[in-house]
Amino acid sequence: MKDPFYRNHLIRDAIHKAILEKMRVNPRVVIVGEGAHMKVHYDAPDIEKEFSERIVTLPISEGANTDFSLGLAIGGMVPIVDIITADFMLRAFDSICNTCAKHATVAEPHTMVIRGEFLTGGPTTGQRIESLFCHIPGLRVVLPCCAVDAYDLMLEALEYKGVTVFFEDRMISDEGAPEFSRILPGKARIYGSRQSKLTVVTYGLSTMWMHGFEHRTGIDFEHIDLRTLYPIDFETILRSVARTRRLLIVEPDTLYMGIGSEIAARVCVMSDVKIARCGAKRTVLPVTEGERVFPDKELIRSFMTDMVEA
Amino acid sequence: MNLQRKMLLIRLIEDRLQTLCREGLAGDLHFNKGQEAIAVGVCAALQPSDKIATHHRTIAHYLSKLPDTTPEHIYPLIAELLGRNTGINGGRAGEMHISNHTIGYEFSFQLVGTCLPVATGIAWALKHFHKTRDIVACFFGDAASSNGQFHEACTIAAVQKVPLLLVCENNGRAGNITKEYYMPPAIECVSERMSAYGIPSWRIPGQDVEFVKSEAESAASLVRETGCPLLLEITVERLCHHKQGQGDIRTKEELAEASLRDPLLELDKKTRKQWTEEINAELDPVFAKALADPVADLEIL
Repeated sequence: MKDPFYRNHLIRDAIHKAILEKMRVNPRVVIVGEGAHMKVHYDAPDIEKEFSERIVTLPISEGANTDFSLGLAIGGMVPIVDIITADFMLRAFDSICNTCAKHATVAEPHTMVIRGEFLTGGPTTGQRIESLFCHIPGLRVVLPCCAVDAYDLMLEALEYKGVTVFFEDRMISDEGAPEFSRILPGKARIYGSRQSKLTVVTYGLSTMWMHGFEHRTGIDFEHIDLRTLYPIDFETILRSVARTRRLLIVEPDTLYMGIGSEIAARVCVMSDVKIARCGAKRTVLPVTEGERVFPDKELIRSFMTDMVEA
Repeated sequence: MNLQRKMLLIRLIEDRLQTLCREGLAGDLHFNKGQEAIAVGVCAALQPSDKIATHHRTIAHYLSKLPDTTPEHIYPLIAELLGRNTGINGGRAGEMHISNHTIGYEFSFQLVGTCLPVATGIAWALKHFHKTRDIVACFFGDAASSNGQFHEACTIAAVQKVPLLLVCENNGRAGNITKEYYMPPAIECVSERMSAYGIPSWRIPGQDVEFVKSEAESAASLVRETGCPLLLEITVERLCHHKQGQGDIRTKEELAEASLRDPLLELDKKTRKQWTEEINAELDPVFAKALADPVADLEIL
């Protein structure tokens, strides 16, 4: 496996492009956290060169750093908290869910972005935690699957009055990342055959898995990439399923209580719709060959075949 | 307003709220009885443009930071405490999450220790972005000093050199738990912990409000001059329960002894009686109006 720190630059570059553009027009935007300087140094030298005084490097104190950043927001700034690895966000879970999310509900909401990456191997370097945050009132959760979405979703997050939890999927390699055109803020992306008998919903890494899958399987489907996990664009999903009457949700998160269960619950009230879900096993991410955790392509293909032939 | 009179105002408002708690018309609130001289004295030492952040025991701090304590300005606080949509934060904050940017009351939070790193961030923005000479005073209890947020915040405040006046309200207890359960045996008080961060500190008693104000003035001007953090530790007795509706493990004798340190004892009886009548006359319509207001709206987030 290639070292993830030296690959997957498309999404990261797009995020930093959005941040740099925003920093140029808004002097209140600051990058904060334990890895603030190190990450900017390697990934965004333009930001380091132009705005070094707006990179606030803090100790390895994920919780306090996040609370500190809410203080910056209260003080009139627009903080981007870099927690580096998504797993570390659990150390700031109290700060994100209690302090930041709840302050946004009782006072005038402040713009805050909290960033974390899903890395590619090991018990606490890649576990999926996105659905946990979707459950918390006061948080908006986004997960881009490609460069154009990474750019747009970061710009949206820096405009949004409230707290955005911004995930990056480091398992999406540059080679496999789909290329899309821009779409409206808050909407899911829908593409593929409108004559198909199947709707497939994905996000982040699973969008990459399913991109172009019809060519390999010969099974047409309408593909919906969520982009934003809270709030989910249910309108787009329901409109597609109303036509296809078949829904397969393929998710990179642990299947149990994942994003797909909420979608399935919303769709199952429509009668005569067949719904299936596949996602990650409830296990730890292995140090090597992490892909074993995820549903393999044959399993996904068999789900699709069963649905369209039924 | 005279500082003694402000302490009495706080006491009388809390007495009324306590009655409402017992009648089921208010949630179980956290009162400041016995600790009023800290909030009143420290806030009197601050400039109006200075900010404060605090813990879950908010009523005294809010009233102390409020520049104008006429009934119309007290009313949004009472409405908030009673969960009414006319409150400072629309009734959604209740007692423990109040904030009012217009008076520099920036943040309060239920979870112990949270106010410390948040206050550090506010102080960073004041100094490094707005480049003002304003400072942030952050109130917290001695028990919070055993929480990780305290240590992380002190570290960040010292490293980032922020104008933060740490005000430790040392009442020697965490709820009903006494300090042998949360302070290491070799540590007498929170000030002793500060050498670990290179943050200067000193400790004073908190019964005489004028003395508290004068010490806080010295502390605040040091913070303002240096732009760096400092701790003022103030020892007091909490004369009420940790929270309304919760028991108190102290004996009657212990509580009677503690009440000898009530900061309002210095107020002569005649003045107290006269002020009480005047304040109560002002508070009657405030409470009646707030109780008649609609409860907070539910907002789907």
